[in-house]
Amino acid sequence: MKAENWDYLFIAVLAVTVIGVTGWTGSLVWYLHLILLCLFGGVFYATRRWHDRGFFLVCAGIPLMVACGAMSTWAGLVAGWMVAGCACNAMGLLARSRERRLFGVFCAATLPVALIVYFSNHVVVPIIILAVVTGAIVAVQQIRDHQWRKRYGVQP
Amino acid sequence: MRRCAQGLSLIILLLVAGAYVLDDLALLLAAGILLCGLVGQYLVFDRQFREIVSSVSVKRSLERTQVRKGTTLRVATTVTITVPPPMHATISERLSSQVAVLDGNTTFSADPDPEPRTCEFRYRITPVVHGRMRFAGITLAVRDAFFSHEIDLFSDPFSGPDLLIQPVGIFEPAGKRTTAESREVEKLKVVSGFGIRALREYYAGDDLRRIDWKLSAKHNKLFVREYTGMVSLPPLIIVDLPWHGTPFSQAALEQMVSVIAGLAEHSIRSYQYVSILVISGANLLHFSPEEKDLQRCMSMLREWMHPVPRVVHQYHATDRSAIRAEIRHLESVIVQGGEPAALQFSDRVRKHYLGVITHLRTPAFVGQVARTFASLKIDECYLFSLASGDTSHIRQVIRQAKIAEMIVHIRLPGAVIASHPAYDRYLSADTVEAFA
Repeated sequence: MKAENWDYLFIAVLAVTVIGVTGWTGSLVWYLHLILLCLFGGVFYATRRWHDRGFFLVCAGIPLMVACGAMSTWAGLVAGWMVAGCACNAMGLLARSRERRLFGVFCAATLPVALIVYFSNHVVVPIIILAVVTGAIVAVQQIRDHQWRKRYGVQP
Repeated sequence: MRRCAQGLSLIILLLVAGAYVLDDLALLLAAGILLCGLVGQYLVFDRQFREIVSSVSVKRSLERTQVRKGTTLRVATTVTITVPPPMHATISERLSSQVAVLDGNTTFSADPDPEPRTCEFRYRITPVVHGRMRFAGITLAVRDAFFSHEIDLFSDPFSGPDLLIQPVGIFEPAGKRTTAESREVEKLKVVSGFGIRALREYYAGDDLRRIDWKLSAKHNKLFVREYTGMVSLPPLIIVDLPWHGTPFSQAALEQMVSVIAGLAEHSIRSYQYVSILVISGANLLHFSPEEKDLQRCMSMLREWMHPVPRVVHQYHATDRSAIRAEIRHLESVIVQGGEPAALQFSDRVRKHYLGVITHLRTPAFVGQVARTFASLKIDECYLFSLASGDTSHIRQVIRQAKIAEMIVHIRLPGAVIASHPAYDRYLSADTVEAFA
């Protein structure tokens, strides 16, 4: 599939998700979701030749993710996947099969986050869990990096 | 982190702060998804960075492996690297401060390409400091849209080869008594000089051309002149290396090494050999007697002409002869007489010196120098020093050289001589001059 087709697929799924969830939940501010969807589409079109397009797509997609997440955690998750897909494709990160697999891994990794949010009543515990996990990953990575660099960085 | 990752981090922080303040799980969900993306991208970048580093191979070739300081040398470095998209890599040579790059490229940008690609640096360098220089590898900088990383690769597969930089000599004016290759001595030699060392009565068989007619007419007896002899002995070069624990001028050291190299080269060319004694303070480090090979001599200078650690320190020690001279001076003051208080003081100092001199032992360094001088057939020496810190060992060397009947020339940095005008008298050498 071509890169443009990936974009259309992501936007189509995003539009179906937003419209579907808005209709299913019967939100009183249904027009806001449609405006945010149109905003994302507008940014998608307006920045089609910009260098940092991925970043602008993420910025435009975040309000949509939050709005969908306010209706349903799973709708917010799907919106997040689609926005991330558009941003990755804009940055050329879905060109090869390896990168598409990595995108799949990313989608899988966000599932536990959504689960934590879904089963939480308040934000404090999920924030602590996210901070601890992120800190642990970064710390382990730094130690690995230090060990690895020693192999190449021995002073002659 | 690059600008894109910094922007995402800021958005995540704002979302988390908003979620915390508003207690809104939807904001936290958005922040969590972005955080997953950012951390995942970091892990992917790190993995690809390691793959790129493991794909690097470096091959470096030099025009020559041994050059003289100041000459130009061509270097060709071939780097093979695989840069998978969407990464970009920049490779640059890590060059020592011992060399200056004249022209050519030492940096290369590798565009993304799944296949291994080869790039070549070609540049010219000029070594500016003598010694052994190892090409210290390369610096690899890798970036993608989110992150950038840099690593210095200076392990064995990326570094080398060694470049030997020989010191280069500069012109050193000859001493007062030296001619081009020979000098006059107060002894009879087969080859006569121009100076007159003695006048004596004529004996049968003497060369008639040597008769001093004016003196013969005055005394009504035939007198002949005895001319000085000519010898062709190269001077001994004594190098006093600075201690690495004390501050010294690197420029003065470089200049001193150049002068020594020039003098050594001149000696080998003129006298066929040169003797070099390397000391540092009261430590005799190396002695190269009668070296005939210029390359070997320069290699020796390259290896040794650096600041060194000193095992033995003298702490401004005064030698026995200096104390004796002081005692003699005090005794003459006492004999001349004067105020009772001054005489009492002089006597007390004299007694103190007498007490010291009985316990003073000759340092091992003096014995080493004396034995070294005794093994040489030399009547002139040049002592080079930066004179930083303790200089008592210089006086000891001069004393031993005088005992061995050598003419001693001291060469010090111009700044040292300018700041201590009395160095000449203090060191009691034949000449004390600045480097050329």
